[in-house]
Amino acid sequence: MNSSDTIAKWRSRFIPDHVVGEILTKEWIDTAIPVVMFIASIIAFSLLLPHFLSLGGIVELLRQMGELTFVTMGMAIVIMAGGIDLSVGSVFALANFLTLACVNYLAWPPYLALPIVIAICGLCGLVNGVLVGYLRLRAFLTTLATLIIVRALVDYLLFHYGSKVVESSPDSEFWDFLSFGTVFGFPFNYLAAIVAAVVLHVFLTRMRLGWHIRAVGGSRRSAHNAGINVRRTVCLSYIVSALLTGIAGVLYAARLNNAGTEAGVGLEVVALTAAVLGGNSLGGGRGSIPKAALGAFIVALFTNSLLRFTLPSGANPLAIGLILLLAVATDVRWLKNRHKLLSRVYVSPAYFEPPPLLSTAPDSGTPYAVNNKLQDAEPIGLDQVDGAEDIAFDADDNLYTGSRHGDILRFEAPDYASVEVFAHIGGQPLGLHFDGDGSLFACVSGMGLYKITRDREIIRLSDETNRTLLSIVDDSRMRFADDMDFAPDGRVFFSEATIRYDIFDWATDSLEARGNGRIICWDPRTNASRTVLPKRMFPNGICMIGDNESLLFAETWAARINRYWFDGPHKGKVECVIPDMPGYPDNIRRSSDGNFWVAMLGMRTPALDLAMKMPGFRRRMAQRVAFEEWIYPNINTGGVVKFDANGNVLESLWDASGDKYPMITSMREHKGYLYLAGVYNNRIGRYRIPGADPSFNDRHLYWDKRK
Amino acid sequence: MNAIRNMLDSFWGRGDASITIPSMDGALRPNDLLDQAIEVQVVQQPDNLTEYQGGLLYSSGNKIFQMNMEASAETPPRYEMPNDVSCLASHPSGILAIGTTAGILLRGSKHEGTTISRLSGRPLACPTALVFDGDNSLIVCIGSDRLSPGEWKRDLMEQGRSGSVWRIDLVGGESTCLVHGLGFPYGVQLVGSGALRVSESWSHRIIQFRPGERPRPVLADLPGYPSRIAPATDGGSWVSVFAPRRQMVEFVLRERDYRERMLREVHSDYWMAPALSSGGSFLEPIQGGTVKHLGIRKPWAPTRSYGLLVKLDASGTPVASLHSRADGKRHGVTSCLEIGGKLAFTSKGGGVIACADLNLLKDEDE
Repeated sequence: MNSSDTIAKWRSRFIPDHVVGEILTKEWIDTAIPVVMFIASIIAFSLLLPHFLSLGGIVELLRQMGELTFVTMGMAIVIMAGGIDLSVGSVFALANFLTLACVNYLAWPPYLALPIVIAICGLCGLVNGVLVGYLRLRAFLTTLATLIIVRALVDYLLFHYGSKVVESSPDSEFWDFLSFGTVFGFPFNYLAAIVAAVVLHVFLTRMRLGWHIRAVGGSRRSAHNAGINVRRTVCLSYIVSALLTGIAGVLYAARLNNAGTEAGVGLEVVALTAAVLGGNSLGGGRGSIPKAALGAFIVALFTNSLLRFTLPSGANPLAIGLILLLAVATDVRWLKNRHKLLSRVYVSPAYFEPPPLLSTAPDSGTPYAVNNKLQDAEPIGLDQVDGAEDIAFDADDNLYTGSRHGDILRFEAPDYASVEVFAHIGGQPLGLHFDGDGSLFACVSGMGLYKITRDREIIRLSDETNRTLLSIVDDSRMRFADDMDFAPDGRVFFSEATIRYDIFDWATDSLEARGNGRIICWDPRTNASRTVLPKRMFPNGICMIGDNESLLFAETWAARINRYWFDGPHKGKVECVIPDMPGYPDNIRRSSDGNFWVAMLGMRTPALDLAMKMPGFRRRMAQRVAFEEWIYPNINTGGVVKFDANGNVLESLWDASGDKYPMITSMREHKGYLYLAGVYNNRIGRYRIPGADPSFNDRHLYWDKRK
Repeated sequence: MNAIRNMLDSFWGRGDASITIPSMDGALRPNDLLDQAIEVQVVQQPDNLTEYQGGLLYSSGNKIFQMNMEASAETPPRYEMPNDVSCLASHPSGILAIGTTAGILLRGSKHEGTTISRLSGRPLACPTALVFDGDNSLIVCIGSDRLSPGEWKRDLMEQGRSGSVWRIDLVGGESTCLVHGLGFPYGVQLVGSGALRVSESWSHRIIQFRPGERPRPVLADLPGYPSRIAPATDGGSWVSVFAPRRQMVEFVLRERDYRERMLREVHSDYWMAPALSSGGSFLEPIQGGTVKHLGIRKPWAPTRSYGLLVKLDASGTPVASLHSRADGKRHGVTSCLEIGGKLAFTSKGGGVIACADLNLLKDEDE
C-alpha cells in the first residue's frame, strides 16, 4: 500500500465527512447562523464592555428582554403562517395604557384587569386576522393601517387621561411581583417568556393547529388541498400575535409604570429584526419559537450594549436597521443555497481497497471463465416486467415477482404466459419468499418488511428498528429493505442495503464505499425488529446455510460473501466466505445439489477499483461531474455463480454480450430450471440446468413437504 | 497570483478546472446518418482513405488495400509494409506517400523508392497525416515526438503537447518545421493560397496558418477530438472526429494523481479515456447514464466512443454533421473522402468502410 493510500484510509476512518451532509439535512441547521452570531456578539461585547457579564447586568438585561421575547414570538408565528404583523408596536402601547388605566385609575384588582386588557389586545388581532385572513387583504398594508389607527387611539387616550393613569399605584403583592419579582434570581418576566416559549414550541411542533400554521406558511395552496382551513389559520396567527403582544404590554406597564408616548414606538421593526435574525424565514413556513427567542436575545443584547457605548443619538435605530438588512440577506441567501450545498456534500466517499480482480477470461481456466450459457435461457414476461428484482414460487409453481410500480406480479404456471397483479403494495418489492403457510414475505423498498397472505391481505410486519446511538439522522425507519430469509424458529433476517439512498439512486451508494447498510432481525413473537449487524457495504442476498445457526449474506460493493452466526456457540461471529468476487454479488439462493447460487448484478472494472482507493477523487467527481457521467460499477453485464458453503467457487453462467440478461440481481432454482431476474432487465429468464433434480423446490428445505 | 488563482480554481472547479463541454447543437445536432450509410467493406481497423490512380486506397494495420466497391470478396493487399501504416496521401501525378511508424515511403512516378526516416536528425516515428503541396513537397503532421500513433491514448492522458507540422522538400531532401508544440495534430488540408488547415486533437480545435505565420483557430471547442481533414467539393472541409469529449474524461485529465496511477496500474483498454470503440468488454469503465434499462442503451448515453463527421464551409464554420450515437456501431471515424455526391468513411472502431449518401444530409436539413 503506498503512502497516499494510507493517508486516504486513515482520513476516511477518522473524519466522518458524511456527517456534514447529514447535519445539513436537519431542520435545526437554519439556527446555525444566529447561534454563531450570538456567541460572537457575547464574546465581542464582553471584551469591549467592562462588567458586561456581571450578574446585575445580566438580570437587568433579561428583564427588558422578556417583553421583546413575547412580541418576537408573536411576530414569528405570523411570519411562519406566511404573513407579517406591523401593528405590534401600537397594540403594545395600547396594552400599556389600558393596564395602567385599569389598575391605577379604575383600581381594578390586577388579576381581573390583566385578562381583560389582554383580551382587548386579542380583539385588535382579530381585526387584523379577519381583514388579512378572511377578506384576504395584504398583510403588510393592513397591519400598517392598524398600526396607525391604534397608535392614534392611544395618543388620544394619553392626551386626555395620560396624567390620571399614573397618579396612584395599587397596593398589591401580585402587582409588585410582576414589576420586579424574581424566581431563583431570574427576573419574573423573562421566566414567563421562557414558559410561554416552551408552551408555544410544543403547540407549534406537536399539535395539529401548530402544524397547520407552518403548513399554511409553507404553501397556502398545498395546505388548502390538504384540507386545512387556510383563512381561519391565518386569522388565528394574528390573534396569537396580538395576545402575546398584550402580555408584553402588561409586563412593560408593571415594570415602568410609565404612560409616555414612546412606549412601543418602533417595536415592530425591532421584533421583525429579531424574528428574522433568529432564522425565521420571511417567506413563511420555516421557523421556530427557539429561533425567535434567540433572535430577541441577540437584538436586545445589541441595543442594550450599544446604549452603553454612549453613541450619538440615532445610532441605535441605525444598528437595528443594519442588522435587519443583514438578517434578511442571510435568510434569502441561505434558503437559496442550502440545498446546493447539501447536494455538493451529501455524497461522501470513503477509502476502500478492493480485493484483487480475478480473471474471467474464457481461456483462464478458472470457474469464473466467461461463457454464453445464459443466452439459451428462454424469456418469461418479455417486455412485461419492469423492476423484477427477485422471484418466488408458490406451491402450485406460479411465479411471483416485484415491479417498479409497487405491484407483485403473478405469472401462471406452467407456461408463465399470462400475468396478473397479485397485490399492490405501493413500494417496489425486492426480496420475495414464501413461508410454510403459503404467505408471501416481501422486502419493500421505502416501506419495510411485508407479508401478503394467500387471500391477498397485505400485512406490515416491520418498518422500523432501533435507532443507532448518536446517529444524526433518525435511522430507525427503513429506507431500503432488500432481501430476507427465515430462521428455523420463524424469525426473519433481512437486510437494509443502505440507509443513505433510495431505490432510484441505489447505485450512487457504490461511490461511497462505506458501510451504509445493516442486517435486521424481525421476531414474530414480539413483533419487533432489532439491528443485528450494522455498518455493512450494501448487504443483501440473505440465505440460510442450513445448519440452523448461520446464514450467508453478500456485501455487494465490497464484492464479498460472508457467513453470520445468529445462534449457537459462535453466535454473533461474522466470517468472510468468498473475499474476492470479480463482480458485485447480489441475492444468494439454495441449489438442488446442496450448494448456493449467487447473482452478480454487475462487474468490477479496473478504473473504478482504482477510484475506490481514492476517496478525494470520487468526492470531487460527485461535486463537479454531472450525475449521468459518473464512473459507475459496470452493471451492464452480470452472471450467476455457484459456490459451496466453504466458499469454493464451482461454476459460473454468463450472458457475456449482455443482450438478453444484462444484469442479474437474483435467481432461484425450481424443478430443474434456474430462473433469472434483473431489476433493470426487460424479461425473466428460465435456464434448464443440466442434470438438476427435477423435483427441487427450495421451500422444502425450510418447511415440511406435506404443506 | 496565478498560482493562487489556479489553486482556488481547482478547489471550486472554476476557470481552467471547469469541465464543461459544448453541447451538440446547431450544425452538430445528432442524427444516425453514419449508421444508415451503406456498408462497403468489413475490415479490421480501416484507417486512412485516399484516392490513387482512379481507385480508392485504405490502410489497415501494416497493409494497404485497394477498395472494391462491387465485390466484397477478400482482395490481396496492394502494398504490405514492415511497420504499421499510420497515414496515406497521394498526388494526381501518381505519387503515393505512405506514413509508417518507421518513416515515410514514396511510391510511383518520379519519387519511387524515396524514404524519409528522419526529420532534422530525429527519427520520424509518429506521422499522423500527410498531404502533397505540389509534386515535390510534402506536408506531414507529427502527432508526438515521444510516442507512436498507436499510443495516442497515452499521449492524450499525459496531456502531450509535442506535436508538430513539417514541410519536406522531396527534391532537396531538407525539412522545415512549420509549427510545433501542438497537442497531437492529426489532420491537414491545403486551403487556397498556401494556407494549411490542421486539426489539433488534444486542443479540440482546427487551426489555420500560412507558413511563417502564427496559427489561429478557425474552429475551437469541438465536442470531440478531430482527426483527418478531407477537402469537400464545394471548397470546405470534412473533419473526422474520432472520439467524443466527455465531462468525466475532462475531469480525469484534471486529476493528476488518479490519472498517473491509472496509466501505471490499469491496462490502456480499460482506462477512463476516449476510445475508438467501447462496450466490447465488461472490464471497461461505464458511466451512470450508460446503464441499460429494460435492455436498451439510450442513444444519449455517455460513452467513451462516438462516430462523427463534421462538414465545414470555406471559412471553417460547421454546416452539417453525420453521427453514430451511443446505440450505434460506427464509432471512431478517422478518415473520409467525398466522391461524386457520396461520402466514403472508415470507422476504425467499428471495423467497417461505409458510404453515406450526401443527399440524405440535405433531407435532414429540411
